[in-house]
Amino acid sequence: MIKLTPKLSQKLSYLILFLATVLVIMPIIVMIFIIVKNGISVINWEFLSSMPRNGMREGGILPAIVGTFAIVMCTTMLTLPTGVCAAIYLNEYARDNTLTRLIKLGIVNLAGVPSVVYGLFGFGIFVMFLKLGVSIIAGALTLSIMELPVIITTSRNALNSVPYSFREASWALGVSRWQTIRCIVLPNALSGIMTGAVLSIARISGETAPILFTAAAFYVPHLPHSIFDQVMTLPYHLYIISTQIPNMPSNVIFGTALVLLFMVLTMSFVAIFIRIYFRKHRKW
Amino acid sequence: MGKIVDTVVEKIVFLCGILSVIFVILIFGFLFIESFAFFKNFGILKFIFGRYWCPNSEPVLFGIFSLLMGSFFVTLGACLIAVPVGVMTALYISEVVNKSVRDILKFLVELMAAIPSVVIGFIGMIILVPCVRKLFNIPTGLTAFSGSVMLAFMAMPTIVTISEDAIRSVPWQYREGALALGATKWQTVRRIVLKTARPAIIAAIMLGIGRVIGETMTVMMITGNSSRIPHSIFEPVRTMTAVIAAEMGETVNGSMHYRALFSIGLMLFLITFTINFVADLFLGKNKNK
Amino acid sequence: MVDKIKVENLSCYYNKKCVLGSLSISVIQNEILAIIGPANSGKTTFLRTLNRMNDLNLTYSHRGEIYLDNNSIFDMNRENLRKRVGMLFAMPTPLPMTIYENVVYAPKHLGLISKKFEQDVLVEQALRDASLWNEVKDRLKSSAMKISGGQQQRLCIARILAINPEVILFDEPCSGLDPISTTKVEELMIELKRKYTIVLVTNNVKQASRVSDRTAFFLMGKIIEIDTTDKLFVSPKEKQTEDYITGRFG
Repeated sequence: MIKLTPKLSQKLSYLILFLATVLVIMPIIVMIFIIVKNGISVINWEFLSSMPRNGMREGGILPAIVGTFAIVMCTTMLTLPTGVCAAIYLNEYARDNTLTRLIKLGIVNLAGVPSVVYGLFGFGIFVMFLKLGVSIIAGALTLSIMELPVIITTSRNALNSVPYSFREASWALGVSRWQTIRCIVLPNALSGIMTGAVLSIARISGETAPILFTAAAFYVPHLPHSIFDQVMTLPYHLYIISTQIPNMPSNVIFGTALVLLFMVLTMSFVAIFIRIYFRKHRKW
Repeated sequence: MGKIVDTVVEKIVFLCGILSVIFVILIFGFLFIESFAFFKNFGILKFIFGRYWCPNSEPVLFGIFSLLMGSFFVTLGACLIAVPVGVMTALYISEVVNKSVRDILKFLVELMAAIPSVVIGFIGMIILVPCVRKLFNIPTGLTAFSGSVMLAFMAMPTIVTISEDAIRSVPWQYREGALALGATKWQTVRRIVLKTARPAIIAAIMLGIGRVIGETMTVMMITGNSSRIPHSIFEPVRTMTAVIAAEMGETVNGSMHYRALFSIGLMLFLITFTINFVADLFLGKNKNK
Repeated sequence: MVDKIKVENLSCYYNKKCVLGSLSISVIQNEILAIIGPANSGKTTFLRTLNRMNDLNLTYSHRGEIYLDNNSIFDMNRENLRKRVGMLFAMPTPLPMTIYENVVYAPKHLGLISKKFEQDVLVEQALRDASLWNEVKDRLKSSAMKISGGQQQRLCIARILAINPEVILFDEPCSGLDPISTTKVEELMIELKRKYTIVLVTNNVKQASRVSDRTAFFLMGKIIEIDTTDKLFVSPKEKQTEDYITGRFG
């Protein structure tokens, strides 16, 4: 038996840590590689711009792309202003009292509610109770409640990173609180808020469970006309064609997965680059 | 004029601020009302400990014990994989590598968090499931184990990111003290850093578990959806989330079955609520130090 | 000799703990009143109460009255009060925008000016009054975060002058500056006295003796002594004052 010296034990431990990291990182790269390799062959203009044919086994995925865009747009329009306002309240106005602690607790727990439970709730409230039916708007409302805690948390961190002295300097000149927030705090927190917003858009476009019974349709032969229409969405479409349809050509499934993955990863890239860019060009 | 704008703005942001509390209460209230009607009709013990989930049989049976076990097995498996690997990765990223490598690794971990669950489920179906079937020589690869492996990947970004933050926020002086006494870097990390960051790491693990329990699409696609009570991790299982997702579309509004699904939703809500609440306490504990 | 500010029986508390005990003091128009004293003597708290900057601190509360030209400042609109009573902080606090924008920021939001040409005139005037014009006139459009600390502090003074206040509060304005910048700021203060009433909180006893007309010595939230600067420094009445200004404690 070899006695482990501290030096050797350190080397060994680092090796194990390294292997663990490889175990985490490799699958992502492999996963992306497999999808790109198998899916790239079906990607062409026709695949992206035409309707599905022959029980979705042929043709394109246009309605799913359009549907995903529609839902993501609606959700962002609902959740971004609300979330940023809530963050402003928490960071700039809220006092340290029971209500504020309650709100923080609410945000923490809202963030932890499983997505399928949001789906259940959205179905009960928006689809049935408010009679919006299975529609873009019902799905967007459900998703926006789900994204609210994420937007609030990231925006709040962004607001919090603006030095307090800027606010004091502005107040001391007789500028009111809201004007200070609008002209000093928000512009300087913008990059952080944007990063959070784009990341959450990426997340929304990949969500399936919350829209399963609130917005998504198995197959719609036309593009949505209004926010009260059902839509096909990319993630749900991927789920359908990979589990429910027999004899589905696998390259079409891979192609759909590739389009979805491309959308989500591009947005994540954009968000991360916004962050890096503004960190470098930060004015203070 | 300016004064009025200020007051109005303060009111508006306040309303947005309390929205999240309102939503939590609404969600809980809504689930509770539907479940209450169901429990009165069916009995809460029969619901939790009933062995069979047969919504279409005669008489109908809504026992979620098998589903609870399914969720439990999948989550346990995912934790056994994700926790050690995740914490070790966090250690590697924060303690071993230099800044540029760290940035790249963190970037990759962030990308991983962005991959949609359907895509992970699909990859699991195509790659992992056949492997599992051959490797363990079992009749089907759609097992709790397959679910655990894929879910572990979904829990890892949470565990790695939060643990990494916690480890890096351990004050530098703590380490210097140990290093000055002649300890190697690794001894310092093991004895000082890990101990100081422990509450936050526990919180990270709990949040990761929360994510695994609530995950729906991946489990639905690769765990086999069998409502028998599993005896080992290599059998097909069905989780609470998967049942809701799979059956909600077929139910009649207001029926027993419909309400039973809401009751499962309530269970999930309560479980994740507890997990997040406790995790938040741990995180708060870390900050106060 | 007109009392610009009159403080009557002011007590201040943080978390119910008293940091200033029933203080009464007046500031005379167009004088520089220096407030000296060791750390935690309540100097800064006092100063921040004069333009109600403490209002946003939730643990803070106070009792007593403060009058500005015989009107209670607690009855005034907070923004209007701060427009009349400007404040300069210990560390320079330029806002993250250009030098030009820093000066016009407050006047624009307070609706004092609107036209571009008025802005140009105002910027030049304020920067000249803060004796900064010659140093920055060629780079008004560059970021205010990039000029030196002393210049930043004078920019902050220019920013206050641009809203034309009546009183200016200086909270240890030179604690972060080098000796040359300090001299410039001190000269500026004496210059400004002609138009404005100034209250200066400082840790630097010599600075108080150099620039102020009257000096008040604070200790543990009480005024120990207040007198004309000449008298206070030459022949202090209280033992504690003498100990402090001769450097025996604090």
